[in-house]
Amino acid sequence: MSLVIDVQNVSKHFGKATAVNQVSFGVEKGQIFGLLGPNGAGKTTTIRMINHILNPDTGHISILGEAVSPKSQERIGYLPEERGLYKKMKVFDQLMYLAQLKGLSQTAAKTAIEFWLDRFEASSWKKKEVSELSKGMSQKIQFIATVAHDPEIYIFDEPFSGLDPINSEMLKEVILEEKKRGKTILFSTHRMEQVEQMCDDICLFNQGKAVLQGNLQSIKQSFGNNTVLLDFIGDSEFLNQLEGVRINNRSTNFAEIRLLEGASPQHILEIAMKHAEIQRFEIVQPSLQDIFISTVNDTKVAV
Amino acid sequence: MINFSKIWLIIKREYKTRVQTKSFLLSTFLTPLLILGFMGFVIFMTVSDNEAPKQVIVIDETGRMLEPLTQLNATRYLPIEADQSIEQIRDLIMEDELDGYVFFDQTFLSEGTPATFVHNGSGGITFFESLRSDVRDVTRQIRLEDNDVSDAVIAIFEERPALENRRLNEAGVDEQSNAFLSSIGGILIGVFIFIGLFGYGAILMRSVIEEKTSRIVEIITSSVKPIELMLGKLLGVCLVALTQFSLWIATYAGVTILAAPVAQFFINQRMGDLQNSLNAVDATGTAANVPSDIDLSFLEQFSIDPLFVLYFFVFFVLGFLMYSSIFAAIGAAVDSEQDSQQFMTPVMLPILLGYMLNFRIAEAPDSTFAIVASLFPLTSPINMVTRMLVSNVPFWEVLLSILLLILSLIGMLLLAARIYRTGILMYGKKPTFKELYKWIRQA
Repeated sequence: MSLVIDVQNVSKHFGKATAVNQVSFGVEKGQIFGLLGPNGAGKTTTIRMINHILNPDTGHISILGEAVSPKSQERIGYLPEERGLYKKMKVFDQLMYLAQLKGLSQTAAKTAIEFWLDRFEASSWKKKEVSELSKGMSQKIQFIATVAHDPEIYIFDEPFSGLDPINSEMLKEVILEEKKRGKTILFSTHRMEQVEQMCDDICLFNQGKAVLQGNLQSIKQSFGNNTVLLDFIGDSEFLNQLEGVRINNRSTNFAEIRLLEGASPQHILEIAMKHAEIQRFEIVQPSLQDIFISTVNDTKVAV
Repeated sequence: MINFSKIWLIIKREYKTRVQTKSFLLSTFLTPLLILGFMGFVIFMTVSDNEAPKQVIVIDETGRMLEPLTQLNATRYLPIEADQSIEQIRDLIMEDELDGYVFFDQTFLSEGTPATFVHNGSGGITFFESLRSDVRDVTRQIRLEDNDVSDAVIAIFEERPALENRRLNEAGVDEQSNAFLSSIGGILIGVFIFIGLFGYGAILMRSVIEEKTSRIVEIITSSVKPIELMLGKLLGVCLVALTQFSLWIATYAGVTILAAPVAQFFINQRMGDLQNSLNAVDATGTAANVPSDIDLSFLEQFSIDPLFVLYFFVFFVLGFLMYSSIFAAIGAAVDSEQDSQQFMTPVMLPILLGYMLNFRIAEAPDSTFAIVASLFPLTSPINMVTRMLVSNVPFWEVLLSILLLILSLIGMLLLAARIYRTGILMYGKKPTFKELYKWIRQA
């Protein structure tokens, strides 16, 4: 299967700092691809290079089989992490301008913008200046600016950051809807639950390198069933007696316990039963959060 | 490859959003009114010379200076009163009761000892000059009398030969020239270009900073190249400036074209009325001798040559693009207007230089230094235009100036584009000159 986004051995330096270091990954058509990693890991720089805003120092990026170019820019809808619109420009004029910059004709732009304004129940804002809109409203306008030219690829940098729950849910819906229409979506995020719910493939960045990548399910499987979820009633003091484990998450009556080398789930159950009333005992795959943290920590040690 | 249809979209946006603003309409239509008002004010002030007459006491030990001076100007030159001491006079001067005194030593006429003018500092250079010329005239008169010079020689001294000022124009016809007027015009046009370059440059820079701080620039650069955005903005703002200037020039041309016929119309009407009333009084009489025509041709000096307007636009556009590409680069390099100051200064210097040289160039438009300033690309947008208005500049110099300007404009654009491209995506710390140099170096 040919790759929609193909990043090969890409590096980017700013002065002496290496922002992206020999990164390779590929996104297949129709996928939702998650770019994860802590702040400063090189996600935004990579996204900018895919968008042909920055040029890689070395390596190669191709979009739909062709090297990145002004043409490839028109096939991508890009929502940057830091949102921005012209404050003193009317909503409709602004959307027309941005859509035409993406290569749409005037009539095509008009049709598309009217469709999306309608879809987001925002038609009445057409003549308003952006500075008059609330934050939630301008987020919608920003989103329309990203999608109006009906691109084949969507790239969202931290799309959920700063969204209220309603817009957040709406965005999720639209992303899944676009995936159904065969669009390819790449987004970066810190928010693991969204990645777990939506992504097919992921790539984990740390310190400019892609430290872990592949299909989300296979990655989780490769970590094995090494996590115990425990619901209980009683004193949680016993958790401190457990050996060969790491407790990722605990509250008064819940614990997520990661088994390290040689620890046995049965032994944990035994100890737990002695101290508390057990309501749930489940052996599961590790959460992405856990994988994220342990991988990042491992690479930190390695470097 | 540069995508011109996208640049065109950017130009259109930049142009529309500015021309439709209230401030554009206001400045376009109010500026001519303000200028007219200002000119009217200056003329009024000049005409109504309402300065209080100066009073100067003449202490005349020669005994011959006082009388002719008081004859010359009785309100200005006063004799010393009998019991007045110099100290009292000095006190009067300090209390502003008196503007000063002139002291002629006994030996002023015989040995040429300089006279002294002691004053309180009011009156300035014009007053001092007129005092000096009075003293000179009186002294000369006394000497002529003393030496029993013939009337013929006196007549020679009193002669004031006229020098008519006629300038040979392109067509080889000499026309009445008012060097003073064209110098003033030259200075004004220089001020105009200076304000245009700087004012519109600042507008452009502010707009670049705004795009950067509002973060829209990342969305734009995901659609167009930074250089396309920069060119579009430069040309868009340039068009706004040209629109404004065209409106002003059209207004000016309209006023000057209409001025003569309108003035003539009113004069004729007045003459007609006069003629009628004269006829009524003297029904039988001889035709009253009313001048049928008043010479209004001086108004033609205010009219503008379309070719000059063309050159004005050429130099303004080239100068604007050159300077504003630097302004755009500065805007891209900083996060706020305050931060831009440090970089503005070196850019401002050559514009200011051109602006200040302009006054000298209006006086001596064909001096070597004027020629150099009008060829040097950083000052030529201001100085060549002034020179062309004041003097007849050889065509090859104009051409050379344009050529040099185009070359340096291209150079500046390329440098600025490199800073711009890197700067618009950089946030946080204000870059140093060294870092800017690095941005330029990065291919």
